[in-house]
Amino acid sequence: MKKSVVALLVVLLAMSSVFASGAKESSKEADNVTLRVSWWGGDSRHTPTLQAMDAYSKKNPNVKLEGEYGGWDGYYQKLVTQVAGGTAADIIQIDQPWLNELCSKGDVFAEISATDFDLTQFDADFLKNYCTYNGKLMGLPSGTNVNTFIVDTKLLSDSGIDPNTVWTWENIISEGKKIHQKDPSKYFSSATPDILRFWFEVYIAQLAGEVVGNNKRVAFTEEQGTMAFTYFKRWFDEGIVAPFSQTSLFYQKFQENPDWIKGNTASAWDWVSSMGKDIGTKQNIETRQFPVMAGAKNSGVLMRPSQILVVNNNSKNKKEAIKFLNYMFYDNEGIITLGTSRGIPSTVIGRKSLAEKGLISKMEEKATNEGTLQAGNPQSVWQMNSEVIQTMQDVIDEFGFGKLTPQQASAKMIQSLNATLASL
Amino acid sequence: MQLGKKKYAYAGYLYILPWILGFLILQLYPLISSFWYSFTDFQLLGSAKFVGLKNYKTIFLADKNFLQSLKVTMYYVLIAVPCKIAFALAIAVILNQKIRSINLFRTLYYIPSILGGSVAISVLWKYLFMNQGTVNNLLAVVGIPPHDWLGDPVLALGTISLVTVWQFGSSMLLFLAGLKQIPECLYEAARIDGAGKVRIFWKITIPELSPIVLFNLVMQMINAFQDFTPAFVITQGGPLKSTYLYGLMLYNQGFKFFKMGYASALSWILFFIILLFTSLTFKSSESWVHYGDTL
Repeated sequence: MKKSVVALLVVLLAMSSVFASGAKESSKEADNVTLRVSWWGGDSRHTPTLQAMDAYSKKNPNVKLEGEYGGWDGYYQKLVTQVAGGTAADIIQIDQPWLNELCSKGDVFAEISATDFDLTQFDADFLKNYCTYNGKLMGLPSGTNVNTFIVDTKLLSDSGIDPNTVWTWENIISEGKKIHQKDPSKYFSSATPDILRFWFEVYIAQLAGEVVGNNKRVAFTEEQGTMAFTYFKRWFDEGIVAPFSQTSLFYQKFQENPDWIKGNTASAWDWVSSMGKDIGTKQNIETRQFPVMAGAKNSGVLMRPSQILVVNNNSKNKKEAIKFLNYMFYDNEGIITLGTSRGIPSTVIGRKSLAEKGLISKMEEKATNEGTLQAGNPQSVWQMNSEVIQTMQDVIDEFGFGKLTPQQASAKMIQSLNATLASL
Repeated sequence: MQLGKKKYAYAGYLYILPWILGFLILQLYPLISSFWYSFTDFQLLGSAKFVGLKNYKTIFLADKNFLQSLKVTMYYVLIAVPCKIAFALAIAVILNQKIRSINLFRTLYYIPSILGGSVAISVLWKYLFMNQGTVNNLLAVVGIPPHDWLGDPVLALGTISLVTVWQFGSSMLLFLAGLKQIPECLYEAARIDGAGKVRIFWKITIPELSPIVLFNLVMQMINAFQDFTPAFVITQGGPLKSTYLYGLMLYNQGFKFFKMGYASALSWILFFIILLFTSLTFKSSESWVHYGDTL
């Protein structure tokens, strides 16, 4: 008995000495700061960001920067879990639709103040429309991101279509069908089920303004829904898009579909910020404007920050985090190193520095200008809600697999959306 | 003497302390809290408000995905588990023969189990079975038209189940160990009595192995009910929710929509479903499992 008590004491003593030395260790490094930065992206974003972090650490040897980065898959899940557990990084890259969702759960992010940042460098409306929550500025837009419509000019001309066609909803079908007619393994659109949902949202935006309004109500009528579904049924019937049985495997990853990679599809709905990654090594790709119907209420073309950079409200080193963000946004070295890895910068100085060095690609610049000109109203927070998106997607899937007629699909979508909205 | 015994017991507790701590902190605590959360509207960020049986009511009365997932998961268990066990047994019987470099084969057949549950294998599966994948290319050689193995709502679940069946290694190893335990004298006696190979297999090998069949059946069933990776990585539950396994639905509710309270309720329902099927299996085993000591 006594022996076991002694053994227990020895263990406790050993443990306390371990922790005591740990405490000493940390007090020694008190002046040194470790900042964690988290983001998602591909190598074209990882490499410049890591380079910028290295360069910053060289200038500020007391700041150690640690990157937590990976692909888009699972990033949000990891982030929310980290925020809930109090272990999120100091500087976090978030997607614009998450800002509202995360801020509504508490003081997750630190408010951005004009004393810390030169906010005049940003477009005031852009900050107000996309980066604020309850009137407070919660983060800074890393760049400007817009929808773009990219086409493979070679496949178009090979199929006897003028590559410079200005696209309308009607000639997407009348011209686009020539591709599948000429070669049954090829299609005009590379749309996967999720991309078809984006197209549906664009069409409804033009018909009715939006799918779900800020008043938490479905904004289109059953007739308008039927019109949209009738139109997209022609995409399947006339060989504009491949059947869902072939594309559903590439849900949210159309760029991984061999048909897209090999050039068997001629066009894609995309974001400028991911365009580079999606095009990969493909040649003869050019950007075009989206079709807009006569009397459209809203173009449905989206413009928003590529991402928003926020400071974790729980961070112990907010001041240092703000300093590093200043380096990313305003320091010439930081701007040049980061380049367009997060889209075309949203600061005046950022655009100027990159343009002087010729670091903005012509294609990206053109796509951003075209998109900005066409951009419509921002989507409502309800339309961007993940459950609402899933509800729309479920109906689009059933429709695409031929289980629902356009009338049924429209009725079901309105009914399902109402049910989902009521539960939120 | 008695004192000595007591001392021994304390030391024992000290040895298993890491496990006990691990169990209390990493298993029992989450278990109890998830039970509590299942009666709340916990949303991961923010606090949890008690809502009584609301989550359970919604699941049973209003959630269409619940029934769909349950149906899909049942089919999945029905396809994957028996196939896996049969396959594991067949390979184990073959590997029990006296063949040259038998150890190499045993290792080779175990490899899928080491790799099997990983995301990389699921990604590989996707590229094997997609429309322009290797499988369709091979079938084309013998003149069979291509199928959308993973894009056709009728075929997708079966294709996904193959990933599970393919990871038969650990069941196989257990069978192999069981086969080695069967006394040679039984086979010898049967042969002297003139029994053929098939008869020997059904009358001696299977009854003697039945405790291991039971163990494999229970373990594989429990695993299959909770399976997640293949559906998540390969099909994301599609096409048309035909591979929307229960585990994936649970994940989506918890980590896509952040409805942790709801997801907790779903996981407790799954727990009771697994408990029910496990108990039924044990109950039925009385009539078909043959323990050696009752010989």
